[in-house]
Amino acid sequence: MKQVREPVRVKWIWPVLVAIILLGVPWYLPQGSIEPIILGFPYWAFISVVMTIALSFFLGYVILNWWSMESLLDEDSEKNRAGGGQK
Amino acid sequence: MNLPFIGWHGVIVIVAYALTILGSTLYLATRGVKRNSLSGFYLANKGLGPLLLFFTLFSTQYSGNTVIGYPANAYRIGFAWWQSVPYMVLVIAGYLLFAPRLYVVSKKYGFVTPSDWFDKRFNSKAVTLVATLLMTYGLLNYLLEQLVATGQAISGLTAGVIPYIYGVLFLLAMMLVYVSMGGLKAVAFADFINGVVILTGVLGFLFLAWTNFGSLSSATQNLVATAPQKVEVPPIQTSINWISMYILVGIGAAVYPQAIQRIYAADSEMTLKKSLLRMAWMPFLTTGIVFVIGIIGTQAFPGLSKMQSEQLVGMMANVIAGKSAFHYWFMMLVFCGVIAAIQSTTDSVVLTLSSVLSNDIYGKFIKPNADEAEKVRWGKIVGVILVFLLLLVAWKPPATLVEIFTLKFEVLIQVAPAFLLGLYWKGLSKTGVLLGMLSGAVLAGGLTFSGIKTLWGWHGGVLGLALNIVVSVIFSLLFPDKKEEQERAEQAYSWVVRD
Repeated sequence: MKQVREPVRVKWIWPVLVAIILLGVPWYLPQGSIEPIILGFPYWAFISVVMTIALSFFLGYVILNWWSMESLLDEDSEKNRAGGGQK
Repeated sequence: MNLPFIGWHGVIVIVAYALTILGSTLYLATRGVKRNSLSGFYLANKGLGPLLLFFTLFSTQYSGNTVIGYPANAYRIGFAWWQSVPYMVLVIAGYLLFAPRLYVVSKKYGFVTPSDWFDKRFNSKAVTLVATLLMTYGLLNYLLEQLVATGQAISGLTAGVIPYIYGVLFLLAMMLVYVSMGGLKAVAFADFINGVVILTGVLGFLFLAWTNFGSLSSATQNLVATAPQKVEVPPIQTSINWISMYILVGIGAAVYPQAIQRIYAADSEMTLKKSLLRMAWMPFLTTGIVFVIGIIGTQAFPGLSKMQSEQLVGMMANVIAGKSAFHYWFMMLVFCGVIAAIQSTTDSVVLTLSSVLSNDIYGKFIKPNADEAEKVRWGKIVGVILVFLLLLVAWKPPATLVEIFTLKFEVLIQVAPAFLLGLYWKGLSKTGVLLGMLSGAVLAGGLTFSGIKTLWGWHGGVLGLALNIVVSVIFSLLFPDKKEEQERAEQAYSWVVRD
């Protein structure tokens, strides 16, 4: 049987996700500051850009490595060859 | 968006573009469509492959508002509007909360609409009815917004050569033909063409804006000198608002009925995974690009009022189009991109609305024993009637686009706990989920109607969702379902849990 993996039941994923999300919002930086400007972005927005890229990478990693449930359907249809359960 | 330079050329391009979409869709995507089957018609027989699924997810999610309204937001808000990129990425995180499980459950039980899940899980007419009505209301609002956007875009883009209502009628008629002939297969195919045009238009527009009005860096330097509040670390209230937007869009857009149907329609788990993987990067190419366009616009057209800034993209396009024949015709492509973005959202909403009418309202409440062909037919006919009724409302368009955008989320997001909790916790009871949805919708709707968009930075929809979850849990504990009902509910998903 192929291993079944479901993202919601992998506990560590969610604190990491929340950390990436919260670091991308400038609530912890001194209000009113601008400099330095990096590639046209004020530093805090640049941090947010970097964290958004990290977010996309992380979600991609989770999708590819921690999501695999379809084998359940194969097993199920093997068990109920006659039924199938489709409408 | 006013492009007075276009006029009759714009009319010709619009007609040609619409006919191209209609012709190629009818020719390539209506053969073999099972029009007598709910799943065959509304879900492309659950056989969408990676390319079409990706493009239909993409084009459906990004509407005309993304292309026209978002640069205006970046113009007004400044760098804090970067939030539009992460909040679109977070839609994928929203999917990860429920889509993996819902996908296998939907395949096993042959779901067609989101309400099928409510029916299976809660086995309560009241719960299914309230969820269906909330979704119908949200979808109608959403559709109304798209119709208004279509009319404004066409009359703006053709400088009034095509009056508002004729423009909408024309595009709508084209769309209804391919939607009713090909169902989701045709919608996904049209979304593919529209998606390519949106991406080309947006990327090309950035290049031309950058070369004509100066780079992002020079716009930023200019803002530091002229409007530093748009470049500074924003106040804490804005950060809260930012996080609130993450929840509203991240969860709201993932539980859109049309988004849920796209989960059902994937031909395999791998297809769904591949499409979502790509979707996680698309915000950079769409909301990210239009964000930069909006910031560049601050240097090109400083000092615009709120209403004037809504015309920003049109103003930029006017200047660019005047440069050469190439620029002129490229702006025509951008103009098709705007129409494409609106149309690709509208067709999906129309189809989903029709599926809710046929599978849920007719098939569950009016005539449950009707055959599928009859249900599909009913959904098509009533769908068309509703669309035309909405068109009458759309004649008097409301204020700016962005304010209507949040309104639909407020209501649609209230079905989220039934998925986020209902897929994992057998204790979520009929009473709990019903009162949760109602209280959430009342709070969110009440705040919106009383003109309070946010409280301490939190959006009405998010506050409604929070209340919804609390009420769902408390009333599920106070009024649990009977033990055998809980066991039956658990059977809907317990077979996926292997520990």
